[in-house]
Amino acid sequence: MKKSHIIGIAMIIISAIILITAVGDMSTYATLEAAKKSGDRVKIAGVLAKNKPMEYNPEKDPNWFSFYLTDTENKTEKVILLKPKPQDFERSEQVILTGSYENGIFVADEVLTKCPSKYKDEEIALRKKSSNQSRQ
Amino acid sequence: MEEIQYVNEHLWPGRIGNFALMLSFCASILSAVSYYIHTNSKTEKKWDKIGRSSFFVHGISAFVLIACIFYVMYHKMFEYRYVIEHASDDLPMKYILSAFWEGQEGSFLLWVFWHVILGFVFIRQKSKFEAPVMCIISVIQMVILTMVLGVYVGVGEWVYKVGSNPILLLRDTIDLPLFTNAEYVSLLQGNGLNLLLQNYWMTIHPPTLFLGFASTAFPFALAVAGLWTKEHKAWLAPALKWSLFSGAILGIGILMGGAWAYEALTFGGYWAWDPVENTSLVPWLILVAGIHTNLVSKSTGYSIRSTYMFYLLCFLLIIYSTFLTRSGILGETSVHAFTEMGLELQLVFFVGLFTLIALYNFIKNYKGIPAPPKEEAFLSREFWMFIGSLVLLFSGALISFSSSLPVFNKIIQFFDPEYVGRVIKDPIPHYNKYQIWIAVFIALLSGIGIFLRYGTPKKNLKPLFVHIGRSTLISIALVILFEQWLGLYVWQYRVLMFASAFTVVSNIDYLISFLKGNLKMGASVLSHVGFGLMIIGVLASGLNQEVISSNRFAMTGIMEDQKLGSSITLYSKMPMFMNGYWVTYSSDTLENHIRTYTLDFRKVDENNKTLEEFTLYPNVMYEKDFSKVAANNPDTRHYINRDIFIQVSGLPPSKRDIELAHAQEDTLNYIPYEVAVGDTFETERSFAILNSIDYLPGHRDYDSEENDLGVGLNFSFREKKGDSTYNAQPALGLSGNLIYQYPDKMNRLNTKIRIKEAFFEEMYTAEENLNYEGHILKQGDQIKFNDYSLTLKEFDRNPEDPNYQKEDGDIPVAAILEVEHEGRLKELKPIYVLRKNRPFSVKAYDPELGIHIRFSNIFPKDESFEIKVAKDNRVFDKVPVEIAENVPATDYIAMEAKIFPGINLFWLGSSLMMFGLALGFIRRRKLKS
Repeated sequence: MKKSHIIGIAMIIISAIILITAVGDMSTYATLEAAKKSGDRVKIAGVLAKNKPMEYNPEKDPNWFSFYLTDTENKTEKVILLKPKPQDFERSEQVILTGSYENGIFVADEVLTKCPSKYKDEEIALRKKSSNQSRQ
Repeated sequence: MEEIQYVNEHLWPGRIGNFALMLSFCASILSAVSYYIHTNSKTEKKWDKIGRSSFFVHGISAFVLIACIFYVMYHKMFEYRYVIEHASDDLPMKYILSAFWEGQEGSFLLWVFWHVILGFVFIRQKSKFEAPVMCIISVIQMVILTMVLGVYVGVGEWVYKVGSNPILLLRDTIDLPLFTNAEYVSLLQGNGLNLLLQNYWMTIHPPTLFLGFASTAFPFALAVAGLWTKEHKAWLAPALKWSLFSGAILGIGILMGGAWAYEALTFGGYWAWDPVENTSLVPWLILVAGIHTNLVSKSTGYSIRSTYMFYLLCFLLIIYSTFLTRSGILGETSVHAFTEMGLELQLVFFVGLFTLIALYNFIKNYKGIPAPPKEEAFLSREFWMFIGSLVLLFSGALISFSSSLPVFNKIIQFFDPEYVGRVIKDPIPHYNKYQIWIAVFIALLSGIGIFLRYGTPKKNLKPLFVHIGRSTLISIALVILFEQWLGLYVWQYRVLMFASAFTVVSNIDYLISFLKGNLKMGASVLSHVGFGLMIIGVLASGLNQEVISSNRFAMTGIMEDQKLGSSITLYSKMPMFMNGYWVTYSSDTLENHIRTYTLDFRKVDENNKTLEEFTLYPNVMYEKDFSKVAANNPDTRHYINRDIFIQVSGLPPSKRDIELAHAQEDTLNYIPYEVAVGDTFETERSFAILNSIDYLPGHRDYDSEENDLGVGLNFSFREKKGDSTYNAQPALGLSGNLIYQYPDKMNRLNTKIRIKEAFFEEMYTAEENLNYEGHILKQGDQIKFNDYSLTLKEFDRNPEDPNYQKEDGDIPVAAILEVEHEGRLKELKPIYVLRKNRPFSVKAYDPELGIHIRFSNIFPKDESFEIKVAKDNRVFDKVPVEIAENVPATDYIAMEAKIFPGINLFWLGSSLMMFGLALGFIRRRKLKS
């Protein structure tokens, strides 16, 4: 058997081990319910509950933002994000949070928001009449 | 239906463009077919001429198509779909290129463009592989052009749209009621280029990256050509040249992406293991593996099979990456993929077709590829290089596997619709934990391998061990030194640091001992040193990032386990101390739709002694209508050994959205007050006093150039509780016929004050309401007017006055009058002008004295002059103002500041790596084979 074959086989075995252990790094998107039960660090996909209050007061703490998230099981709950409020959050189509339950509330430290694409076929921007200018 | 005659449409660029597109597409087919026949035929050797001319026609018409698209974009012809999607009236010319390749169609054409240029270069080289290589390139071109064809293919009920055509009219792509209007073109307005993409990186990064992509097609095509013509050795030399070029360019392209992310975007680093980044890195890794086996095979005859495999795989991975980033399959796992646009099937076809071409040729000819019967010696360079390449392949496979998770999810879901897709929870640690071992291996292999030679090793191994031993000792010392500077924290990182230092030291050792400092021969040495330095830079900047913007005292008690946030709130003009820096948000200015913040940093030692002072200017960009913040651009201060990176991470609501600001203003409860100068009065929260009236208002936004006339008030407010005093300077300004309010706000007092506009009329009397009184006087005379006294001092024949614009033939003369009023003395200069024998006068006015003077006539006979005087009817004794309290503060920001130590090692190392590749290319470019 050639040396390179041995090394090749060794690499394949190592990759297999790595990929098996890497399963722990992957998960399905959790739901609020499941995250609460397990207490694990998970990713939750959901949408912003637009009729519920959002709380962000950078004067008090710029790294604290709370809002209501509706998960895939249609459960809505208040969650906390330990980051400044993402730009354009109100218009997001989907919110993905990474975090875990702490003292009965889901606390996330990573967020990804998916926004509707800038251009949609139906939206053709028309010229507006020039509006009055104002200072201040 | 009656045909509508549209007005202002420009149809000819579309017609030319579409013709060029079709011609280019057909020519690529003809070129592919001709070159194919030429390659396969043993007797007919004329088909290459047809292939060559067709490729030429294909290339030129592709250029014409691109030129047409540029033409319509440059002239903002919004009747074209691609223009309305990607350009707008206010898009600066310098971003036209960016707008062109912002869309999928434009970037496909950019790719086509580079293939054409490189194809022309290849044809000029008169390679013996011209026919098979150009056949493959033509097929690639044909497939890419289908992405922009925009034709419908139908069989019975089933209709499929092939590609998306960028040179179609908007009205040909969608149906809108708007198109019943013959003048619809004048109503259109472009969507414009995403503000995030409006910077120079967007101009330079895509073309570089696509040149990198395009250049990988040539090693691929040469590999196919080698298999096809069974010339298993002759293709190796040209392939090496092309892949060195490709490695350098693709690498630079990827690095530019990292630099963009780091410099201008707020990703907070240069690499985030995002699927889009990964799928361009993996082909590069495979290409580099191929370069190594290519070198081996050229020198020793070993590894020809792996060279084939790597070059074939590299281009397949490029197409796979195209599929991932453009099909929309990455969805939420990536922050910067294209949005989907119905090209999925075509992209799958693209990947599938070339996988088949590669596999067919490789498997069919595998047995015929020569390989030396004896295995490589253990201590030979070729063996270590081969192992290194396998490690790179291994790295690429791991990265690809994880990045392809969304693809696996889709495939499993196809068979099992119930299946819930999986995602990687925390990508960065996931990738890092495996890739650090790859880096360790690569560094050690390249550090030792460089001292080995091709073929049978020397008998005497002592010098080898001396060199390795020496490098080991120096590297250990470097690890210790590094830990004096920054932390490595765990043994794994110490091992990585050691390995990286080892490759740097031993490669430099090799350069000095064997190459005698000849850099020209040392392309590989430079690349390996670069690799080591880059990893050291990663360890320095990645592990030792330090957040400045946290204030342990201000942030306690929010979370149990104290995950300290990395943003901090800064109030205007209130210095805040954070980790050795005093930071002051001193001002912000809004220009167009960009608000730039001025942040002053003062670094101090333990005794609060200033060590260093500097200012940084991060900004936020608003959407055109100020409805939201579109982007925030960080600012970075660079040092040799570190960067200080800051960004504005949060704004008060009213500064984020103009609607919110208006809504907030509407909820304020303004209470009217009437106050006289010197009066003290009481509001809910303060005692206030009107100190004085100002005729040149001191309000920060008041601009005497913009306003014809203004008045300001100076107030002092003393807070009832707290006892602090604040000043406010509200103002009114007159510009043309409009009166503007300049309210003033005391953020700390949460109070806003404005002057009622009516006051302006009480202050200043309009011209038509003035009662002028005429006086005749001579030079030196003094007259009385109410309680003013005026003296005619002298004349000025070259008067200057903002209200008087001199014209040719004018004869102006100004009377210089000294005016005295209540102890104040002023000089005023009304002007008398003769223009074409017709006289008129330019008034002199002093807002403080409230006096209007006109120089209305000259009587040359007795040298006397007529002056008309009027005064403002100032009837007020009190100023009407309005004060609102409990106003939310708007003068703060949330700021994030980080230190990236040693980041320059990363940039230096990675650039050196690419420079090494480029040097290898330049050295070989001149060689014939």
